[in-house]
Amino acid sequence: MSAGRQIPRRRRGGNRATALSLWVFVAGMVGLAFAAEPLYRTFCQITGFGGTTRTADAAPRGMADKLITVQFDANVNIQLPWRFRPVQSNVKLKPGQEALVFYEATNLSDKPVVGTAVFNVAPFKAGPYFNKIQCFCFTEQVLKPGESVVMPVTFFVDPDMAADANTADVSTITLSYTFYAADDQSKAARIQADRGAPSAASDSKS
Amino acid sequence: MSDAAAAHDHGHDDHHGAPAGWRRWVYSTNHKDIGTLYLVAAMVSVLIGGVFSFMIRLELQSPGLQYIEDLQFYNVLVTAHGFVMVFFFVMPALIGGFGNWFIPLMIGAPDMAFPRMNNISFWLLVVGLLLLMTSALVAGGAGTGWTVYPPLSNATFHSGAAVDFAILSLHVAGASSILGAINFITTIMNMRAPGMTYHRMPLFIWAMLVTALLLLLALPVLAGALTMLLTDRNFGTTFFEASGGGDPIFWQHLFWFFGHPEVYIMIVPAFGVISHVVSTFSRKPVFGYLGMAYAMAAIGFIGFIVWAHHMFTVGFNVETRAYFVLATMVIAVPTGVKIFSWLATMWGGSIEFRTPMLYAMGFIFLFVVGGVTGITLANAGVDIAFHDTYFVIAHFHYVLSIAAAFGILSGFFYWFPKMCGKMYNEGLGKIQFWLMFIGVNILFFPQHFSGMAGMPRRIPDYPEAYAGWNFVSSIGAYISFAASLLFFYIVIQTLRSGEKAPANPWGEGATTLEWQVPSPAPFHTHDQTPDMRPQPAE
Repeated sequence: MSAGRQIPRRRRGGNRATALSLWVFVAGMVGLAFAAEPLYRTFCQITGFGGTTRTADAAPRGMADKLITVQFDANVNIQLPWRFRPVQSNVKLKPGQEALVFYEATNLSDKPVVGTAVFNVAPFKAGPYFNKIQCFCFTEQVLKPGESVVMPVTFFVDPDMAADANTADVSTITLSYTFYAADDQSKAARIQADRGAPSAASDSKS
Repeated sequence: MSDAAAAHDHGHDDHHGAPAGWRRWVYSTNHKDIGTLYLVAAMVSVLIGGVFSFMIRLELQSPGLQYIEDLQFYNVLVTAHGFVMVFFFVMPALIGGFGNWFIPLMIGAPDMAFPRMNNISFWLLVVGLLLLMTSALVAGGAGTGWTVYPPLSNATFHSGAAVDFAILSLHVAGASSILGAINFITTIMNMRAPGMTYHRMPLFIWAMLVTALLLLLALPVLAGALTMLLTDRNFGTTFFEASGGGDPIFWQHLFWFFGHPEVYIMIVPAFGVISHVVSTFSRKPVFGYLGMAYAMAAIGFIGFIVWAHHMFTVGFNVETRAYFVLATMVIAVPTGVKIFSWLATMWGGSIEFRTPMLYAMGFIFLFVVGGVTGITLANAGVDIAFHDTYFVIAHFHYVLSIAAAFGILSGFFYWFPKMCGKMYNEGLGKIQFWLMFIGVNILFFPQHFSGMAGMPRRIPDYPEAYAGWNFVSSIGAYISFAASLLFFYIVIQTLRSGEKAPANPWGEGATTLEWQVPSPAPFHTHDQTPDMRPQPAE
């Protein structure tokens, strides 16, 4: 330490400015954490990441020569009193070929229930090439007590899949659905009200 | 020497002595007192967390269920052990304790930038610990593991208030750390002595700056994720519920985006401590100062882009796995820079094997062992086989539990004379080191073998085949526990009857500013800012 030299004075208020800018960082990171949810969803929908399937308006152009198997899987959440199964266990088709398949759902309870399905394909890398034209998963399903419905799915596998080196080895794709009780049970409540019985909507999901 | 006006600028508050009695501690705005409070809190926490791990090892000593009938209770023990050790032992000791004590002393500042915020940081931590204890005692406790993965942590599988208390506890502890981090960064950026440029700061200050930045960027993400889990549990949102379009994997991404930097938050301050201790007891300046500083910055940066190596089993495509394998392995480069620079610092030095130095060398050994298994686990293919086995337990206990604890003990023995003004008993210190070193290695090394044989973590029972190494491991736990008790004995004995410590007990190797103030460091230090500018040519 050298004696006699002037020590520069510390700036006052500098600390406050530093702390404020650090708070902006903190707020930004919290914001990013919450923004991650819609960003991740959008990212998956755009890229087909993680087995997210695509939706298409029209049939594909062209057709690949390879025959692939599409298997169908059905699951029901424990809180939904439904039976749910694919009508056919699998179909064989060529990429580019449009297929129409059916799932069947039955309400086993004595109350009307609204269900929604979530879906995915495996292997994940086939997701970007799996296109659905029409699907029951796009709308809520209301089933009256004991009612059974057959629901169509129209889809095709993009013929580019066979050309992509990364997915050329895929010979089997599994399309999986899981039915859950919908959060919004108002449609079921309306049917119940029409039938003149108390609504069961509230106890179908805890 | 300096003009009195500058000192008076800070107001007369700076010049009274320590208030007496409980007010001194509860209302404290003094960085040394708050540092001491943090260290005491860490010691209380390590006892709590240590008793939990003792109970786990007792149960695992032999196959079958001996002591723990209620399996949820075992889950609660595992969870609470993790939370307490991570959030209430390692972080408060290294960051709150040593950081508060030595950042102002080492940079020549009279106190932290925001002394009152410092006070609330500490007391929030205490509230967090109380909330965590509450969580263990209500509604069967939180048995989620420290990672709190949904669906196990959601309202279906943990319907009571226990997980909500655990979430609140982490929220509060996180807020405490964020406030502390803002305080540290502001202090380090604005209050260094004139002449102490960024490239002339002691490495401990560099370590604390990197740590505080990691805290600032990682903890808000945890806070966000915890808030989502809280609303999922209580207000019907579905961030992590597939039925509502959410995804439990989303939790894992958010958690590990926080969780991976968190492991560096626990080890980087220890890097700083070890650099000082190795340099002091080798009587040489640290080898490759700038490389050491930027290696910590690089580790901190890379720490934010490798998180998914904790989740290789969730089904990433091969490109994603390849990226995370590669990025993870890159961490070995700056870490290697640090290890070899410490060895180069010792090389040709006049090494004195005092207790802090023994602990520093123990740290380097343990960290290398844990680092090598870390490289092993970084391989996605290997990790899928070893996922959730005791191999992972052995790996992360080597790096972030016992290496971090050795960093804490090294720093504690190094700075204890400065903090309390008394010398510990060197002979007892060395015995304590060897007991601890042997104990932790007998405890954790066999867990590599159990893990490679396939023993899963978080399960209180196992087949006969794993009995041998589990027994050895439990013996190691008892030795480590004895070593911990000896440590507390040394602390009490030093405080009661230690010899008076000189301002600098370590000789010419100890060059940083804290050794220029008397021991124990007086209530107010650096009233006159030390001048660190290079001497002008006459």
